Amino acid sequence: MKFKKLIAVAMVTVMTTAMIGCGSQAADSQAPAESAAQDTSGTAGEEITLKVFSNLPDRKNGQGLVEQTVIDNYMSENPNVKIEVEALDEEAYKTKFKAYSMEGLPDVVSIWGQPSFLDEVLDAGVLAELDESDYADYGFLSGSLDGFKKDGKLYGLPRNTDVAVFYYNAKMFKDNGWEVPATYDDLLKLAGDIKAAGIIPCAMDGGDGWPLAVYLTDVLFKLTNDKYADTATTAIQNADFSNEDIKKAVELLHEADEAGLFQNGYDSQDYGTAQNLFTNGQSAMYYMGSWDASMALNEDIDEEIRNNIRVFTMPVIDGGAAKATDITAWNGGGYAVSASSANLEEAKKFLNYLYLPENLSKIGWENGVGMSAQDETAFMTGNETEVQKQLVDLIGKATNVSGTTINDRGSAAFKTSIESQIQSVSNGSTNVENFLSAISEACK
Amino acid sequence: MREQARDPKKIILWVVLIAVAIVQLFPLVWLLDFSLAKSTEMFTNGLLIIPEKIQWGNYVTAFVDGHFLLYLKNSLLINGLSVVLVVLISIMSAFACLRMHWKYSRVAYTILLLGMMIPIHTTLLPNYKIYSQLHMTDTIWALLIPYTAFSLPQGLFLMTGFMSSLPKEVEEAAVIDGCGIYKLLFGVVTPMLKPSIATVCIMTFLNNWNEFMMASTYLSSKTWKTLPFSVLDFTGEYSSNYAVQFAVMALTAAPAVIVYVILNKSITKGVAMGAVKG
Amino acid sequence: MHKLYSNRKVIFSLILPGMLLFVFAILFPIILSAYYGFTDYSGMGKVTFVGFDNYVAIIKDSVFWRAMENSLLLAIGFICIQHPLAIITAAVLDKLGGRAEGFFRCVYFIPNVISVAVIAYLWKFIYNPDFGLLNNVLRFFGKEADINWLSQDYAIWSVLVVLIWHGFGWGMLIYYTGIKNIDPTLYEAAAIDGADQKNTFLRITLPLMKPVIQINVTMAIISALKQMETVYLLTAGGPGDRTQFVANYLYQQAFKAFRYGYGNAIGVVFIIICLFVTVVTNNIFKEKEV
Repeated sequence: MKFKKLIAVAMVTVMTTAMIGCGSQAADSQAPAESAAQDTSGTAGEEITLKVFSNLPDRKNGQGLVEQTVIDNYMSENPNVKIEVEALDEEAYKTKFKAYSMEGLPDVVSIWGQPSFLDEVLDAGVLAELDESDYADYGFLSGSLDGFKKDGKLYGLPRNTDVAVFYYNAKMFKDNGWEVPATYDDLLKLAGDIKAAGIIPCAMDGGDGWPLAVYLTDVLFKLTNDKYADTATTAIQNADFSNEDIKKAVELLHEADEAGLFQNGYDSQDYGTAQNLFTNGQSAMYYMGSWDASMALNEDIDEEIRNNIRVFTMPVIDGGAAKATDITAWNGGGYAVSASSANLEEAKKFLNYLYLPENLSKIGWENGVGMSAQDETAFMTGNETEVQKQLVDLIGKATNVSGTTINDRGSAAFKTSIESQIQSVSNGSTNVENFLSAISEACK
Repeated sequence: MREQARDPKKIILWVVLIAVAIVQLFPLVWLLDFSLAKSTEMFTNGLLIIPEKIQWGNYVTAFVDGHFLLYLKNSLLINGLSVVLVVLISIMSAFACLRMHWKYSRVAYTILLLGMMIPIHTTLLPNYKIYSQLHMTDTIWALLIPYTAFSLPQGLFLMTGFMSSLPKEVEEAAVIDGCGIYKLLFGVVTPMLKPSIATVCIMTFLNNWNEFMMASTYLSSKTWKTLPFSVLDFTGEYSSNYAVQFAVMALTAAPAVIVYVILNKSITKGVAMGAVKG
Repeated sequence: MHKLYSNRKVIFSLILPGMLLFVFAILFPIILSAYYGFTDYSGMGKVTFVGFDNYVAIIKDSVFWRAMENSLLLAIGFICIQHPLAIITAAVLDKLGGRAEGFFRCVYFIPNVISVAVIAYLWKFIYNPDFGLLNNVLRFFGKEADINWLSQDYAIWSVLVVLIWHGFGWGMLIYYTGIKNIDPTLYEAAAIDGADQKNTFLRITLPLMKPVIQINVTMAIISALKQMETVYLLTAGGPGDRTQFVANYLYQQAFKAFRYGYGNAIGVVFIIICLFVTVVTNNIFKEKEV
């Protein structure tokens, strides 16, 4: 339901922007920058070092590149500020984050606006409160800030709108006469066809656990639609996963494994391996979040593959409540400022700079990194990659969105449990009942 | 000779020895081979790939973006310092427990040796807490202290073993000549300990050279990161470029392998002595 | 002279650095661990005392016991596979003599000097079912190889192979030195008595190597318990906790699952188990010697 509102806001924004023209957009974004400039003059000449702790280790591609570009711009505009970045991949990042929170976080940090991550962090009071009214002009999509709030106070800002998608190699599909599947059964049948052609149907990062949990969410959402959030949250709160839809969803995940949808050994392979299978033409599809849309612009990837990347979302399931246009999407990653920052003002100033629409959002758009959590319609040039256009279209036409994935709806202990158990149920070495009772245990 | 060569037993022996050598070395050859290819060439069914064009560029990227020199320098410095500390402290403690007369010498010795049985990883969590309270995380001390502490028991054990085999007469003669304890220890005893000092150096160095769990927990900025980080950093940064990952692995492994091959004999002797005694 | 050796100040100054290091880097952390083991501390925020809750939870924690099981399996793997191989290789090398002996000794030890970080990532690639070396080797020998080496069924064995491969040189070298220390006149005597090589090995080499074997078996059990790095990088304990080890598990619980108190409790149990195992193995060997 949130999403309808969101789309409405987006539409209004587009129309207003179109009517008033680009001038006002520029003026809007100027305002925070100006006030920021005054701050600088107050502390002019004083050398400030800001530490940014990021979960984007690849600084030369995709989102990491976008983040680094904004940081470099900030440093050249504010010569007295030096920004040091420490970047680790997601697992290592979260570990280090916890370690850091004992001694004081770096000034600006990556966070996730989900209970599994943020609940404990906010309880510990390590993040600085932000003033929501500062961001009235930033074009945040409605509802996207909700995950970053506690008791009505804002502690962080979302970076992306993430959509769970199947990337597929359009040329490979065309050459072999494969069709984008319309139903879950088609998907599994397609897996058989692709496999028969000697190609891996879908590359999956199963070693990490969370992409499988996203897949599970995707299936569960297709089954339950409006009731998804309620079903998942109730199960977690009551430590009772006996719900029929949840059972069915887990079974469907295992069916995908049995149908050979994923590569051999997906349950122990990491992100890089899965992505490389797809980008090197070894697999026809790749299941991942929309942030990987930047593959289409990655020079390391063969042009023939890069230019043929397209997406589709989880097809509808027989007997499921959701339509094709009800999609699994959420606002996950974002940034926050450390409460213990020695340069709190500068850190907030930098955070605000990051989120000026022409920075993260626009530069991200130009680099093809999926969808930001801010209104991006103003940056459309028509030169976007096909994947980007598809994603805009997907979100534009969405009739409902899932919100936070199931693994991120409970405590961190629940997340750890489901993400380490899900491989066993997916590959069939544990049965559905045992899996469900194991994850219930972690909710207690 | 000729008869020996035909001896089937000898042939089997050689076949087995060579087979084991292949098992031990081939993965490294494979690593080297793939590090010179292009990422796209890796999806092959062949054992080795003959790269279309040898990609030296992989090594340039690995060397520069892997901060190879900085990390190598850090590794050498941290390991070097901890070796010196372990040798020094283990000589002092060994002498105190073995030669000096005091009631608790045996107890002290046992306590210090206890460290050998404590699994190093159990101290990761509390040590992190302690170091962060003392603002020692991300400094050289955060590695130097645990590296030294966990290598000390073994050093002490080896030193005591060797020291007890030294003739007491030499020491007594020195004392009669009016030599003080410190002068006796560092001027007379230490030079006699040379062989075991070499062993302790080699063992400590081997133990700590490859350590990364503590390093990755206690360090955050590049300043003090050690060599294994070249590999760890890269797998995230270059997830889409396999060949460079192979290059950085080969590059990281190289210093230790080269040094080992050159100093093979003395390292083997040192390890052997430590291994049998320890 | 006696006076000189009992000077308290001197004794104090000599023992102090070692003791300080022990207290600061080993003892104090363990005490702190014990303290946090009694709390539900998440790693940040409030610390609440929960008594023995964590320890009760460990007893019921199936993953913890799986980790112990894996350690046991690993120890058995070391003792039954790695060490016999190492002893035999060492004995063969000993007989070889000349340059070849030095060459093979050097080659076998090389994996040992390479960082675990490199080893773990290298084997991750070797085990890759699509382009990994292992399946390619099988294909080279004409097998239809599509094996997923890090799957639920194989993962623990695959981890075992890596550890055996990595540690083989070390074990070999230790036994090699042990054999070299055996008095050669014993072999000469055996040769005069007409014993063949197999008999010499079983009757002379093995019994004389007993002390070395004892030390190494103890070390093998401890290193199996302590296993962390390779698993952390190779499988992260997966799939589905199949290759979980205690050290990796406590790290995961403390830093990933926000259960710092629980992680520390596991640490305390872990230390107790290690001390216990060391004492028990020592006693077993002592009894045998009598």
